[in-house]
Amino acid sequence: MISVLNPSMSRIHRAFSGLVMTTGFLAASVLVAPAHAEVPYFEDAVASGSLPAMNDRLPEHPHVIDFAGEGKEIGKYGGEFVTIMGRSKDIRMAVVYGYARLIGYDQDLNLRPDILEALDVNEEGNVFTLHIRKGHKWSDGEPFTAEDFRYYWEDIVNNDELFPVGPPRFLFVGNEPATFEIIDEYTVRYSWSQPNPFFLTELAATRPPFIYRPAHYLKQFHENYRDADALQAMVEERGLRSWAVLHTDIDRPYKLSNIHRPSLEPWLITTEEPSDRFVFVRNPYYHRVDPEGNQLPYIDRMIFNISNAKLVPAKVGAGEVDLQSRILSLKDYTFLKQSEANQNYDVRLWDVGAGAYAALYPNLTCSDPVWREVLRDVRFRRALSLAINRTEINRVMFFGLAQPTNNTVLPKSPLFKPEYRESYTDFDVKAANQLLDTIGLDERNGEGIRLLPDGRPMEIIVETSGENPEHDDMLELIGDSWRQVGIKLFVKGLQREVMRNRAYTGETIMSIFNGIDNGLATPNTAPDEFVPVLQDSLQWPKWGQYYQTDGEAGEAPDMPAAKELMEQYRKWQTSNEAGQKQAWQAILDINSENMFSIGLIGNVPQPVVIDKDMRNVPEKGIHSWEPGAFFGIYRPDTFWWDR
Amino acid sequence: MLTYLARRLFVMIPTLFMISVLVFVIIQLPPGDFLTTYLNELQAQGEAVDPAKIEFLKRQYGLDQPIYIQYAEWAWGLLQGDLGFSFEYNLPVSDVVGDRLWLSLVLNFSTVIFIYIVSFPIGIYSATRQYSWGDYGFTLLGFLGLAMPNFLFALILLYYANVVFGTSIGGLMDPEYINQGWSLSKMMSVVEHLWAPVVVIGTSGTAAMIRRLRANLLDELGKQYVVTAHAKGLSPTKVLFKYPLRMALNPFIADIGNILPQVVSGSVLVSVVMSLPTTGPMLLTALQSQDMYLAGSFLMFLALLTVVGMFVSDVLLAWLDPRIRLQGGVGN
Repeated sequence: MISVLNPSMSRIHRAFSGLVMTTGFLAASVLVAPAHAEVPYFEDAVASGSLPAMNDRLPEHPHVIDFAGEGKEIGKYGGEFVTIMGRSKDIRMAVVYGYARLIGYDQDLNLRPDILEALDVNEEGNVFTLHIRKGHKWSDGEPFTAEDFRYYWEDIVNNDELFPVGPPRFLFVGNEPATFEIIDEYTVRYSWSQPNPFFLTELAATRPPFIYRPAHYLKQFHENYRDADALQAMVEERGLRSWAVLHTDIDRPYKLSNIHRPSLEPWLITTEEPSDRFVFVRNPYYHRVDPEGNQLPYIDRMIFNISNAKLVPAKVGAGEVDLQSRILSLKDYTFLKQSEANQNYDVRLWDVGAGAYAALYPNLTCSDPVWREVLRDVRFRRALSLAINRTEINRVMFFGLAQPTNNTVLPKSPLFKPEYRESYTDFDVKAANQLLDTIGLDERNGEGIRLLPDGRPMEIIVETSGENPEHDDMLELIGDSWRQVGIKLFVKGLQREVMRNRAYTGETIMSIFNGIDNGLATPNTAPDEFVPVLQDSLQWPKWGQYYQTDGEAGEAPDMPAAKELMEQYRKWQTSNEAGQKQAWQAILDINSENMFSIGLIGNVPQPVVIDKDMRNVPEKGIHSWEPGAFFGIYRPDTFWWDR
Repeated sequence: MLTYLARRLFVMIPTLFMISVLVFVIIQLPPGDFLTTYLNELQAQGEAVDPAKIEFLKRQYGLDQPIYIQYAEWAWGLLQGDLGFSFEYNLPVSDVVGDRLWLSLVLNFSTVIFIYIVSFPIGIYSATRQYSWGDYGFTLLGFLGLAMPNFLFALILLYYANVVFGTSIGGLMDPEYINQGWSLSKMMSVVEHLWAPVVVIGTSGTAAMIRRLRANLLDELGKQYVVTAHAKGLSPTKVLFKYPLRMALNPFIADIGNILPQVVSGSVLVSVVMSLPTTGPMLLTALQSQDMYLAGSFLMFLALLTVVGMFVSDVLLAWLDPRIRLQGGVGN
């Protein structure tokens, strides 16, 4: 059972055995020095007896963070840190920054057990056994056990009233739902007859699925455990429609709208919406410790101030935050650097995880038959790419700090090949003109604009979501160089919903949007952004629709390359790690050759502002939603104040 | 006078009804609804959403019903004082609004007072000393306030308030007072933060007020009865305040109805820019995310304010100038 085939799984095992060793060491040290210094924040509560001592609050084997490996130093307790969010619903960023996951990425993007003590995967990758830490407790002091997993599986996602759509897709393989078993109080198992490549990455996701819920707390709102009249009274008191709505409302592990809900996160929310300032305080039962056995987090309180996004750079410049990356962008860099002189902060530039900062998406499934034909010719897409002066965009807009690139994975990804990034990115008007001539688009009108096969002038309307003025600026520059190859570019600013809807229905010829999100893809992350399986992929929305609706809407992929992509996607889903890597590589090769989307610029660094007295924040990091959870994988619970 | 009042009050009912229909329709006009906006936003941040879940949520929120039923439910709730349910906050709208309505009133009321305090003396001064340096100077100042974009002025004031007084940027109080009970120091913090938005919103309103008072007063000052009063040896101040000023006050009062909505909608923009905890920013986000009941309730609140403002100014005018009520409620 415990033998393992694929390397990422074996990493989990190594982490597991490492843990056993460190906890063994801990147990020994406990004999010598029986008690660790109490967290000052809880000293009074412990002294008065309202809270157990630290050793009794921690699980039997807490998660010891590898400070040496992560280049961190042992810290001191106390203080608070302030960061700014743009809207009050951004309080969910607390779950992102906290990054307590059943299994989570470390700084090198390896998966390691975190809330779980260990996780076993069998060779085929279809049986997952989860080991819970003995003595791990919810933030209200109640034990965290297999019951909490059972409650989620049986009483939430498999309850027709509460979850009519059934368990989330990652708990299915094909049409087969997981088989859930409780082995003992601290062990649960999920299994399928086929491998499930989505399971682990989903658990480690920046927005995790929370397959465990505080059963002891939620049962009082559940039909199966509560007297119907009492429940109905509660529902009516809140003016809701049914007990199911009440339960959903009470149980929002990600939205954090219920301050009474027990949690496993490092900091617990104490402020109710709506507010302009949210205070999070430390979780007395948090499961991570530093190598000396001090319970984390070091910092007592985390504070989110809500402010208009336009004021954020000014507020940061006035020294009103301790840690900030959200909302800041490269264009604020000079201002922040200038204010650095009067304030006690550092501005660092972190790499980003997105494959490209912006990309053009020719809509291969657009309704206009002439344009569809033209856009589907790979030589046309290559010519468009060759006629873009990416170096100019970089110099004009990003101080030359970014990098010309295609819309593909980053060099740090194990799947990277230089040609993915570089092919057809040189600015070569001559080659582009030649390509267009060979396609047969060589007739021009009086203005020098090429004509489409049906005689219309070649005017490409690029639609934008109207949110990012930088997109318009880039299009301005691209329009100039496309003019040189006889193509006119018009910009049409829309609202995001409108833009998406137009693309879905095939009205859009071309759009500009952010590049792919997961530039750090590994063989076991899903290649969804590179194959036609998502309606949101603006280069093939109808194919994505077709896949997402099981063929009820949209169109089946009818280009050979797209069919090949789907074939490789199926291979990826059913392979072991070596096969997954092969499939990934094939998918990337096809994408690179075909230029399905035209990447513009990438590696636009992210300014990160950090108070000079804050320790254990890395000098250089990766700022990325998935994987990375922005600050999450750098463990904000280990940050501390040196003052 | 009583019949006039009754008629004026009665007219307000269909007005508010029409407004409520318009508000509801306008909020529904952009494509999609709260859920699609919400999903798009999640997807933009790289979060995947199960498409099958949407239908379930739609039913849960009652968004699957035809629009007139949604309207009827909302309007019926409004009549009973129930402002509806905010999707975004998952709370009754009245809970979401909380302190904001009150802080909005403080801000808008202070602004109206500011406009009056500034424009009244300047108007009188520049009318009595027409074409003097002072007249030009003050008028220029008023026009500057009108011409300068509010958000720009706001940013400049915020910056200097921070540099000179160390006031925290944005907001109506220092962050540590948010969510705390009212205390003297919290009040002081509010006062410290209040002046900037009041000046910004106020200055854009003063120019019109100054010009109107000045023009009206100038009309009166040349009239026969003023000359007579002067000729009879009354002190110039007494003449001014006793006769022509009273006649010139008419637009000042007639403007109450206009100035209220003008200030309120002007303060929305400024509140957004300055991140003030008033109803403005919340209205804007509610409109963006199509949180329709929240947005609808704010808009209805603004409409009510306008309608009531108009009523008050009409009543005051009727009281000030009998000719108006004799004409049967048609304004001058």
